[in-house]
Amino acid sequence: MVSALVLAVCLAASATLFTRRVVTLVGLIRAGKPVDRSGEVGARVRNEATIVLGQRKLLQRLGPGLMHAFIFWGFLILAPTILMALIGAVDKHATLPWLGHQGWFALLVDIFCVLVLGGVLAALWIRKVQRPRRFDGSHLGEADLILALIATIVTTLLFWHASRIALGINDWPRSWSPVSHLLSHLFGRDGATRVLERGFVWAHVLTILSFLVYLPYSKHLHIATAAFNVFFSRTRARGRLEPLRFDDEDVPEDELRFGAGTAADLTWKEILDSFSCTECGRCQDACPAFATGKLLSPKLVIMGLRDQVFSGDREAALVPGAVPEESVWDCVTCGACVQVCPVNIEHIDHIVDLRRHLVMVESSFPSEAEPMLRDIERSSNPWGHPQSERAQWAADLGVTILEPGDPAPEYLYWVGCASSFDERARVTAEATAKLLQRAGVDFAMLGPREACTGDPARRIGNEYVFQAFAQQNIETLNEAGVRKIIANCPHCFNTLANEYPDFGGHYEVVHHSELLARLVAEGRLAPTRQEGLQITYHDSCYLARHNDVLAAPRELIDAVGEPVEMARSGKQTFCCGAGGAHMWMEERGTPINAERVREAAATGAGTLAVACPFCTVMLDDGVQSEGAQLRVVDVATLLAEATEPAAAPE
Amino acid sequence: MILVYVEDSADELSAQALTFARRLGEEVQAVLIGPGARDQAAALGAHGVSNAHVAEDPRLDAFAPAAWAQAIATLVAQRRPTAVIAPGSDRGNEVLAHVAARLDEPLSANTTALTLGSPASVTRVRWGGSLLEEAQLAGSPLLATVAPHAVAAETVDGGQAATETFDPSLSDADLRTRVSERVGEAAGGVSLADADVVVSGGRGVGSAEGFAVVEELAALLGAAVGCSRAVTMAGWRPHTDQVGQTGTKIAPEIYIACGISGATQHMAGCKGAKHLLAINPDAEASIFASADYAVIGDLHEVLPAISAEIRRAQGA
Repeated sequence: MVSALVLAVCLAASATLFTRRVVTLVGLIRAGKPVDRSGEVGARVRNEATIVLGQRKLLQRLGPGLMHAFIFWGFLILAPTILMALIGAVDKHATLPWLGHQGWFALLVDIFCVLVLGGVLAALWIRKVQRPRRFDGSHLGEADLILALIATIVTTLLFWHASRIALGINDWPRSWSPVSHLLSHLFGRDGATRVLERGFVWAHVLTILSFLVYLPYSKHLHIATAAFNVFFSRTRARGRLEPLRFDDEDVPEDELRFGAGTAADLTWKEILDSFSCTECGRCQDACPAFATGKLLSPKLVIMGLRDQVFSGDREAALVPGAVPEESVWDCVTCGACVQVCPVNIEHIDHIVDLRRHLVMVESSFPSEAEPMLRDIERSSNPWGHPQSERAQWAADLGVTILEPGDPAPEYLYWVGCASSFDERARVTAEATAKLLQRAGVDFAMLGPREACTGDPARRIGNEYVFQAFAQQNIETLNEAGVRKIIANCPHCFNTLANEYPDFGGHYEVVHHSELLARLVAEGRLAPTRQEGLQITYHDSCYLARHNDVLAAPRELIDAVGEPVEMARSGKQTFCCGAGGAHMWMEERGTPINAERVREAAATGAGTLAVACPFCTVMLDDGVQSEGAQLRVVDVATLLAEATEPAAAPE
Repeated sequence: MILVYVEDSADELSAQALTFARRLGEEVQAVLIGPGARDQAAALGAHGVSNAHVAEDPRLDAFAPAAWAQAIATLVAQRRPTAVIAPGSDRGNEVLAHVAARLDEPLSANTTALTLGSPASVTRVRWGGSLLEEAQLAGSPLLATVAPHAVAAETVDGGQAATETFDPSLSDADLRTRVSERVGEAAGGVSLADADVVVSGGRGVGSAEGFAVVEELAALLGAAVGCSRAVTMAGWRPHTDQVGQTGTKIAPEIYIACGISGATQHMAGCKGAKHLLAINPDAEASIFASADYAVIGDLHEVLPAISAEIRRAQGA
């Protein structure tokens, strides 16, 4: 009876401490600004099953992934043993009905105890011996304490079982417990063991309760928050940014936001994100800005925001207090951090919200980007070319330019500013148009009525300019009766397909590589494959990572030559350095494009294929600065050359 | 009566604003503020001004936009003009914007035409000169700044304008923003943004030392030295020398681009140049599409040859 009383007091104390902390945390999250993460329950449950239960994203790195998975799965399997220990602590002859007597469960417990211990040892080895750079800036001492607690919980469980076997009071057939049985030989069948058996079970129970209390106060908070964070994360269209609703009169004053200036401006999802970070540093490892010596670490951004939220200070500026200003501008919005984060933290949202406040409220941003914003507003393109010259590249091609009132074609060809005005990117537009004509596709373009989609303005944080252009373009497209769009530029593609629906523009958008691959598959284009032509394909972030377009460009490459993959390809691609409006900003330190060109050159291929006009320009610049022997060329141009060699521009 | 804010009796844009005002068909009076205002007032008779008002307050000697606006607002309250017109200069637009805020009346900036009435109709320049907007303007008085060169300045045969002084009734709050000091541009070298001639080098220059030939030609021509982004990225020249989208945007009479391929980012910074001479060994370089004069060749041979020729001509 005494033990029951002691246990009740311990349980009540730890439950109180735990609840108090949880109430505080939930209060902080609920104080966040609204953001809609409802609906898509099926996809959310699927994410929960694969990312949380299946540990899919952790297992992207096999070693550390297995380490974590063993500990995580171990905890799930061992959960009933907590109840068994609570019962056993009060009455050593009692256990859970049925399950406490099952041999197979005892076997599972033995196996997972060993796996968890293995996991803890692996974690210590990674942290103490390997010491990867991704932990730079993380709280390492806390992790050691957590690992020690986990090891103690599992060890006391094993020894408790072993001592019970030695005393012959095991509730399950001992032959099912190879490890505990082996350990039982350490104990005699005497009074000392009887005392030890009580000691083990109480040590086990008390360690678990301490762990429970310590957990929400530590960085290991993720055990409680990660499952929720994954559930409420984006289900699709990772390239879509959350729109700001500043023109909507239905939005109450206190919900109005212009990005994030202080902790009070963060959305509840952003706060939940920050509570879910374990400081594992996978994001930092994947970040092209960090890799090339910039100040930005996505991990430190999230940690800085979390510390600011915990401090309770809702007045202090987030930049430069919690996040250095330079970091905010270093980001290329490539999404490598979001892609790799095991708990689905959405770093881009945080960084863009910080930018939005700096641009729209403080008017403080890199001055070299000013002409881009001004030129978009004045000339509808970021380089300030006259709109009347937008379709000049197609002057001799006979492409239909859609005038108001014309019947809608099957496809609208959305050329984009870069492919309309940039000398190197225009080649792609020409090739695409010729191929579409050759395959007999019914298409037309808007010519001077096409304006910048607003992507660079949105990514630098100027949501006003973006929304103005979104509305204007949607009006043009809807009036023209457009339903299907071919986009040349992955940035236009992402904006048209994922972001315009928020403003009333619903279109079926394909990237030119997707349509061209379909035309090849259908036999409407018949390229000649050139054996020995080695081509390495650079995935555009906004195509591969943000929109899952991986196969189509590869099919095209396979149709014209021999593909050679780079080390970082597909969704693990490495940015060209132009995203997030960096096409119009200066870069400090080692250029990202040079790093990528060195990787491409290392494949030995002579051709570096791309599917994005920004990648074309950035990588071609990189090839020139590195003096690499590589031809940077869009997949459409390659296909055009292979389809009609006589007309090749070389 | 139309009141015109005049920056200076010899100022071209102010003269245009006065001509613009005269064509409205009402009596034209002027307001002058700042040092020398009193001495210039009488001469405005040649612009058809009957009365020139001079604000008397030593605190107005330095430019202070809110205080100058307060002076005009005070005069407006006393004289009740139909309209207040100012030149569409930086200063004219700034002062009249403050006047508009003080009077809580709308302002039509960069106006090219105005017809009196209630409401008055105006035509004004929008979107960096790409659009003319027809609009109606209500207000008592009507407030407008005149787009530069919307009208040609004309003088009239007139006597001297009657000079009157008035107290602008300033408070200390009006003087919070004022010019406190003027610092001249650092001597030496030609400013890239304002230079009539710019000689730029690109990746084709090859090294920081390679810029000697570019600098030599620039010195002979009294030109500024520029460069492309590739050059700043390589660390050969400082970012202040960079011509382009993310550097300085220039509009010289002559732009000499040496070893520059002509990327969009660069051309966005030099498309204002009146004449473009491109020197590049690659005949396919995209810069030749925009060039008025092209030399296909290595800048390290071409530039010294041009410099030598200029020296010979100067020596002769």
